[in-house]
Amino acid sequence: MRADISLRAVPRLALLAIGYAAFTAIVLFPIAWIFMMSLKSFADIIAYPPRFLFTPTLANYEEVLFGNDAEQAAGQMPDLLRFLMNSIIISGGAVLISVVLAVPAAYALARRRTKGARQVQFTFLSDRFAPELSIILPHYVIYTRTGLYDTYAGMILVHQLITLPLMVLILASFFRDIPIEIEEAARVDGAKVWRILVSIVVPIARPGIASAMIIAFIFSWNNLIFGLVLAGGSTRPVTMGILQSMTFDQIKWGLMAASAMVSAFPGMLAAVFFQKQITRGLTLGAVK
Amino acid sequence: MAARLSPDTENGMPRATFWALLAPALILLLLSLYPFLTGLYTSLTNQKLYVPATSFIGLGNFVRLFQTPLFWTALGNTLTYSILAIALQLPLGLAFALLLDMPGKVQSFFRSVLVLPLLIPPVVAGLMWKTMMQPQSGVLNWLLGAVGIDPLPWLANPATAMISVVIIDTWLFAPLAAIILLAGLQSISVELVEAARVDGASAWQIVRRIKLPLLGPYVLLVALFRVSDSLKALEIIYATTRGGPLNATRTLHVMAYEEAYRWSNLGRAMAIVFILWLLCYTISGTLLALWQRQEATRHAR
Repeated sequence: MRADISLRAVPRLALLAIGYAAFTAIVLFPIAWIFMMSLKSFADIIAYPPRFLFTPTLANYEEVLFGNDAEQAAGQMPDLLRFLMNSIIISGGAVLISVVLAVPAAYALARRRTKGARQVQFTFLSDRFAPELSIILPHYVIYTRTGLYDTYAGMILVHQLITLPLMVLILASFFRDIPIEIEEAARVDGAKVWRILVSIVVPIARPGIASAMIIAFIFSWNNLIFGLVLAGGSTRPVTMGILQSMTFDQIKWGLMAASAMVSAFPGMLAAVFFQKQITRGLTLGAVK
Repeated sequence: MAARLSPDTENGMPRATFWALLAPALILLLLSLYPFLTGLYTSLTNQKLYVPATSFIGLGNFVRLFQTPLFWTALGNTLTYSILAIALQLPLGLAFALLLDMPGKVQSFFRSVLVLPLLIPPVVAGLMWKTMMQPQSGVLNWLLGAVGIDPLPWLANPATAMISVVIIDTWLFAPLAAIILLAGLQSISVELVEAARVDGASAWQIVRRIKLPLLGPYVLLVALFRVSDSLKALEIIYATTRGGPLNATRTLHVMAYEEAYRWSNLGRAMAIVFILWLLCYTISGTLLALWQRQEATRHAR
């Protein structure tokens, strides 16, 4: 009987294995291909038929991270490094401001069970439905008039549109999972809401807060439009920089591939280590 | 039964505390209403970028847009993109979700693979695929050749550009559909599936008769996220075709960007953006309301 079941299971297992292989190939092939390209010499890149076997070189990474000969001779910082630094400042700053605002807001949304509270939550959600340009184009006019155009402060401020609603929604979903009894015991002792939040809720929710920050950072990092419209030469983020490497005269494929891998690095790192929390974050807490 | 601690227990946190905690974030968010409203006014003017003088022209921008064939092309492209995206991503996401719906370490590995595209900058994904889709030297045409299929022009031809862009969108976002549907599959009780199996139902019958009908709210959630995002698609297109060739991928959002930064017609760009805004809110709002109603009935049960 037992043997019969496992025998019948063989074709099903084979089918499943093919399914998994196809799934992995579809998802991973583009990343693997560009990763390979980033390790190729120019001759290997333009070879046709495409080469799957080649002698890897780190020359592309060296050039994008440490500069080409001319840049090195002049002691200049390579473009990509400047763009990376801009992105770290903008996205890092945006997340730090957002977390201070989002933790109390999310706690309030998680702990008040009224229609009004739900309405406010949908206000945060509906922010996502607006086409970015409907808010960003007017920002351009205001920013150029007030001197915020192409400044870190301006970029960090406008990135709140990405990071703040995202963090509020994710954190509210995490806070709802904390049993309210713990807080009620403290309330009986006469602790104020602020103290309960800071000394009980935040420590318990620390992993949730960390993952919300990571997701918000990546979404802000990955954004292109805000930089395209509101950043000039001195705050250009990495997503814009990589586009720039494509538009000049001839395309330097190897450098493009290396820059692509570098700029996608934070996201790929997070995918490996925070897969579970990211699932919840990507669906804004609608799915656990 | 916990003792009642305060008269507010029913509503949770007291109202004053609620608003006090919420205020800073809410105020910052509502601050963006100001640019939004100035933008709305701009759409009623003939404002140009870099030119200070503007005058109020009422609905002039909208009237002119409705008489411009390109506007209707872009509107059609926007809807086509959205419909193609959801038509590809829902079935593919469901296939992925069914494949990954199993316990254990293996699933954890595949889920990591699954979220990978979602965390890559869309512009990077666009460039990656653009490289692979090169008609002459790209690896995709070589792979097609290896299985005996003629090379495709991909992004370079008006006939195939739209579907090519949607394929990139699908690579990026079908995983999101899969993640949501996977959560749905895992919310189905094990006993229900087990009972059906004992009754002799085949795997396919279990999927069709039990799992799919119970996925309703999750399918709506996928539609909500994917439709609302694909209507305003811009970054993938900007990184690959910039609306071309021959306007084949010029969606409303791309058209608005070009109108502002190529033709510096800020007023007309805002008019396009607000038509798109209206479209997004009507469709997303409807889907959201449907989803909320399903959720409400589910919780009432």
